[in-house]
Amino acid sequence: MLGMYPTFYVPYIGSAWVMGIIGVIHVVASHTSVGASFLFAALETKAYRDDEPQIMVFIKRYGVFLLVFSYIIGSITGPGIWYAITVASPRGVSGLIHNFVWVWAAEWVFFTVEVIGVYALVYLIGKVDKLTHLKLTWSFALASWATMLLIVGILSFMMWPGSENWYQTGSTNDAFYNINFFAHLGVRTGSMFVMAAVVGFLVAAGIKDPDLKRSVVRIIAPIGLLGGFFSVMMFFYYLRTLPDNATVLLNSYLVPQYGKAMIFVFLATTAYLLFVWWKPQWLKLGIAVPMFLVISVLGVWPEERMRETMRKPYVAGQYIYSNQVLARDVPGKGIEGEVDKIAEKGLLQLHPFIPEQLRTITPENKLQVGEVLAKVACANCHALEPGAPLRNIPDKFHGATDEDLIAAFIGGPLKHGAIPYMPRIDLPQPEVDAIAAYIASVNQNRPKAAGDEEAGTPTALLEKKDN
Amino acid sequence: MDIGTVMNTMRDPAGIPAPVELFRILMIATWVFHIAFVVLALGAASLAIYAFWRREQSPYWTGISIAMTKVAKVSVSLLIVLGVAPLLFTQVIYDPQWYASNVLSARWAIAFIFTLIVAYCLWFAFYYGNKEVAKRHIGFYAVIALLLFLLDGLIMHVLSYQAILPGQWMGWYAPNGELDMSGAHLHAMQWPRYLFIISLSAPAVGFYLIAYDDYLKRRRDQNPDYLAFARRLGQRIAQYGLIVSLALFVWWQFDNPASTGLVWLPGGWAVAAALAVLLFEVTYFRDRLHGYLFLAGGMVMLLLLAIWREVIRVAYLAPFGYSVVDEKVNADWPSLALFFLTVAGIGGLVGGFYLTLLYRAGRVEGVYQADRTMSAMGTGAIVILGIWTGVFFLYGIAIWASNALTY
Repeated sequence: MLGMYPTFYVPYIGSAWVMGIIGVIHVVASHTSVGASFLFAALETKAYRDDEPQIMVFIKRYGVFLLVFSYIIGSITGPGIWYAITVASPRGVSGLIHNFVWVWAAEWVFFTVEVIGVYALVYLIGKVDKLTHLKLTWSFALASWATMLLIVGILSFMMWPGSENWYQTGSTNDAFYNINFFAHLGVRTGSMFVMAAVVGFLVAAGIKDPDLKRSVVRIIAPIGLLGGFFSVMMFFYYLRTLPDNATVLLNSYLVPQYGKAMIFVFLATTAYLLFVWWKPQWLKLGIAVPMFLVISVLGVWPEERMRETMRKPYVAGQYIYSNQVLARDVPGKGIEGEVDKIAEKGLLQLHPFIPEQLRTITPENKLQVGEVLAKVACANCHALEPGAPLRNIPDKFHGATDEDLIAAFIGGPLKHGAIPYMPRIDLPQPEVDAIAAYIASVNQNRPKAAGDEEAGTPTALLEKKDN
Repeated sequence: MDIGTVMNTMRDPAGIPAPVELFRILMIATWVFHIAFVVLALGAASLAIYAFWRREQSPYWTGISIAMTKVAKVSVSLLIVLGVAPLLFTQVIYDPQWYASNVLSARWAIAFIFTLIVAYCLWFAFYYGNKEVAKRHIGFYAVIALLLFLLDGLIMHVLSYQAILPGQWMGWYAPNGELDMSGAHLHAMQWPRYLFIISLSAPAVGFYLIAYDDYLKRRRDQNPDYLAFARRLGQRIAQYGLIVSLALFVWWQFDNPASTGLVWLPGGWAVAAALAVLLFEVTYFRDRLHGYLFLAGGMVMLLLLAIWREVIRVAYLAPFGYSVVDEKVNADWPSLALFFLTVAGIGGLVGGFYLTLLYRAGRVEGVYQADRTMSAMGTGAIVILGIWTGVFFLYGIAIWASNALTY
């Protein structure tokens, strides 16, 4: 038996997109929060040193905005990502938690301190002496950044450990300080300043006092620009720390799909920051709100989607596949891979949450079994409905209705793990046939559209660049 | 398949990085703080709404409504952040149960996030509008927010309760043999348990009001009559609330199946006894005991409850042959040290600095001037954070470099 869980299936968009949507909201809110904490520290230092108490008015406004924006939305969507990955990839999140529980617990300490700190920072402006408040603000900034330091190690391990060491030692140190870590940290540290600047402009746009507006904007804008430049440089370094499967996906699908949008966002953000730096008084809500939406949606969504997609076929540490199967042995933890066991006995026999009447394939239940197997083995990355946006399988087979053709793909490239971004799914022939029969039946029953007459080829998955 | 065997197979094969009892203690201890702010948030929110509708009768009700709105606002923030730790430790030792339960009600687990965001945003809308002069319609924002908070509490209750009913998982997942992967249903509720925990919101806010009086009465800019009003109100709410809580707890005790043997275990009745002691104190010693003592007593009762929840979990799962003491341990001492040093250094010094500063600043009129101790704590907070960050990077670079050489 395998330690598999029941499956949560979301038609059309899949549980992956649910996770992605929550994740993007969280990234925008949390990066803004961490970046803003350093902006506050820089601004307050200036206010203290140059005796410019009016700057504290801006900090208070931004802080109150941050309470709602980051500490409601950000702090709820943080655990929200957890809930989303729990239901989408229970074994994935379990693997991460059992490797990193103490790191996560340490992050929780910082997170708790940070939440208390933001209330203290905002509500004690003018209620405690200035030097004490400045200490509060700097400690808040450092504590906020520490939450990022700790979570990035876990996120970058999800991509891969980068060496064989962790598999042999099982040590959290080797998992956390992986090859990808510092590059990833650099990207996020730089981008947090960009997000904080862009959100800071939302707040600054409402300032009536022209001197205060100029003063604040001319501190924020260069910090955002420097952060953006640093982030881009680190992004190029980050690309050099990726595993081969990620590089294949990046070059084949992701750069063609997202590359232009990312360049556009980079240029638009740079132009926006430069322009506002040059003409602070021109900053109005009519400009700041659309720019915030463009940068957070067009900038963060592709970046997060790319990072999620590049990990394929794994969900964590290159040892857990997206479909929850353990891909390989991890001697350091006493973990054994499951692919060969499945090849020998089949998912129907090994998966604990298969109804008894479906464990044996009969002509009557073949399509039903095929559907169940497709959902268990494929649905974490693929929708099963024709036309669905999440790499739907019927379209990937170009509407093929030939069971043998579909079975040849499953029993060929998929069985041997020949596609770098797909898991090795090696199933007994009756299970392959059941999945093939199900996919063929879906294509048979799909609404006919122009071009559907041409059935796909077994290599369609490799050829079609619409990931 | 035998669900006990299934659960034991579902344990994460990586094992756990420290002895199981350590995780158990942390899970129980951190839940106490989480649930304290849950019940305080619900109690404060309920009272804020009630006082809002009574504000025309007395300015004291206006004051109570505004104050409790703020208390609820901060409490929700804290209950969220403090909820992360017990959730984390639960997933370490009760991973099969928690994940299975979540997947079986997956849409609700996701809905929890979005309803909580909506509820909290509505509460902030109420907070911004709830001033000396306020429009009546904002009260409806608060009512909707409170209903959503209660719904979120119900979702969490269901996820926890389903987790200890593994014998029914397959029936929920495949009713009549037909698989249902939608996660669209809440499958099991234990109403007395849910209602009991919700009912604790009354004593929580009652005790808070008593402590509120004790905290603020040294400030000359506070109206003593208003504070006395708040104290009396708190005493009444706590008194009646504890009676209701006690009744609901007894109902919960007898609602547990006889086969679990829980009904007459002393652990459960210890919770009841703690409730009875609190009721006795708030009835007969309400003016003689400091408000902070009531809060401390409430925390003791919550600790007993947290332990009792764990006893219940063990009792429900034992017949299936599942026990957390069987967990495989793959000790990882460096990361354990990271956590405990962070708790001591960052939690203790930085968190201590913030809390002490907030506490002291709130007790003075005008601007609080830090004394030498506070000033040293502030400097110490920055220094300890600097040291922590420096060690993090130096230690990390050494490990990263040695791993990079084998890349």
